[in-house]
Amino acid sequence: MFLAQLKNELWKLFGKKRTYIGFGAFLLAQTLMLLTFKYTRWQADFEKLLNGNGYLAAEFISALTVSVVMLIPQIMLLMPLYATLVGGDLVAKEAEDGTLRMILSRPISRVRLLFVKWGAGVIFAVALVLALGLTALGFASLLFPWKGMFVFSPGQAFCVLTAHEGLVRFICSLLFMAVNASVMMSVAFMFSCFNMKPASATILALSFLFVSMVMENIPFFGRYEDWFITHHFKCWLLIFRDPAPWVQICQSEIILFAVSATAFVVGALAFQVRDIKS
Amino acid sequence: MIELRHVVKKFAGRIAVDDLSFTVPRGEIFGLLGHNGAGKSTAIGMMLGQVWPTGGEVKICGHDVQSNRHAALRQVGAIFEAPAFYDYLSGRRNLEILSAYTAPTSATRIREVIDWVGLTGREQSKVRTYSHGMRARLALAQALLPRPELLILDEPSDGLDPEGIHEMRQTILRLQRELGLTILLSSHLLNEVEQLCTRIAVLQNGKKVFEGNVADVRAARGKVALKTNDFVAATRLLRGQNLITATAEEKFITLAEGRSVAEVTQALVAAGLAVEGIWQHEQTVEDFYLNLIRPGTAKN
Repeated sequence: MFLAQLKNELWKLFGKKRTYIGFGAFLLAQTLMLLTFKYTRWQADFEKLLNGNGYLAAEFISALTVSVVMLIPQIMLLMPLYATLVGGDLVAKEAEDGTLRMILSRPISRVRLLFVKWGAGVIFAVALVLALGLTALGFASLLFPWKGMFVFSPGQAFCVLTAHEGLVRFICSLLFMAVNASVMMSVAFMFSCFNMKPASATILALSFLFVSMVMENIPFFGRYEDWFITHHFKCWLLIFRDPAPWVQICQSEIILFAVSATAFVVGALAFQVRDIKS
Repeated sequence: MIELRHVVKKFAGRIAVDDLSFTVPRGEIFGLLGHNGAGKSTAIGMMLGQVWPTGGEVKICGHDVQSNRHAALRQVGAIFEAPAFYDYLSGRRNLEILSAYTAPTSATRIREVIDWVGLTGREQSKVRTYSHGMRARLALAQALLPRPELLILDEPSDGLDPEGIHEMRQTILRLQRELGLTILLSSHLLNEVEQLCTRIAVLQNGKKVFEGNVADVRAARGKVALKTNDFVAATRLLRGQNLITATAEEKFITLAEGRSVAEVTQALVAAGLAVEGIWQHEQTVEDFYLNLIRPGTAKN
């Protein structure tokens, strides 16, 4: 029965046009970034960076390298927007449209309903990341060769890998990005469980993430960076360090799972005591 | 089937439902009347476990809604005013989605219900293309899917045209006749309530101000219509003989306790007043309701 309910939840989610806004925006952004990288000074600057570090640029300007170059800004800027947009809709939109009242006239428990919805949200988040990563790689493969991988993100990652090793790390990074997207979705989902409009839930979740990011970057709070959720979101980039700091990555992942679970529990508690009225 | 005992609901200190108690036995069509904000929808919300009571007990099909919601609502269908659906999905998909929250429902059952409500041929169309009447039928279909024993209808005719209202009324009667359902109907349409319900409860400012049979309502405080050549003289005479207690609109008299129409007729004839007509006037639920809510505003 749970699977049937989850399947139906996915029908509802993926039947809506606005669910695809994120996918569409990512496709557009990727196309623009790819063309910009290929046909502007961006590629030349990148080659200079490689050469400056003693690597042969021709060997590392590859599909894998360009994919990560494209992913970094999208993950930072676009991913929170689309993950929270859907997370904020999950409960609040149904309450706003009146369909929640139709559902809750049936003998399903509120917690179970939320669990089904949250599950659908997680599936969306994973699908969004996979679509993002795989299309980035696919698009980059059209214009760049399949060679070694070079990743550079100031203060976060620096590595030079073979194509095979690069692909393995790229897939790992997608898994961590999926966790990030799920957490962002969960925060918005939590707000969505309160009595508020879907847009408010999305804005609150984005504000929460934005404030976390701003505070994390204030030098004074540097010593407390572990307390900021956005600090742990960066673990997807840590996989591109050589060697990868697995302990740190695991710690961050555990914290992100805990944040997600906490968001669900807080949302469920708020939803449980709420009166659902027309 | 429905049992409310001393149910109270407060919203931020405001009392929405105040000490509400009533029972609806199996097979009855029970009407819930009241003005906007009287507490009808809140009461229905509490019956469906959507609104938490501040106090009291709500039992549906013998189960407490708060502590055993699943058992209480297993065989309950509900329709709300302006039924909401996933407009971007087909009618059939909507039914599949909503039924999955109750129990696994076979494709045959879904087809059967679609056929019952007369949506065959349009079930694959997106709900956004449905007329108001078709949406009402879809709402009915989703309520019937779990083979309910109890139907809770909150303003089911809201927004329907006269033909739609008539159709809905016939459907409700058909449901009770053919499927033997117990129905709780909340409606503003007093005429509808009168034609459908066997019993009613009237809410005012969250309080129940009346509960009783529709038949009793019609007879309650029954007036007698009197057509005579001099209504004023006739009523003066009847008052003098303590046969009546009140008059209204120069056409109605209210008999004194224990007095009959025959005695009134006899008195008038004996006094030489021509009685052109005298009959027991059956008051409508509307008259009763208006008199109850705002005394003196009823038409008759």
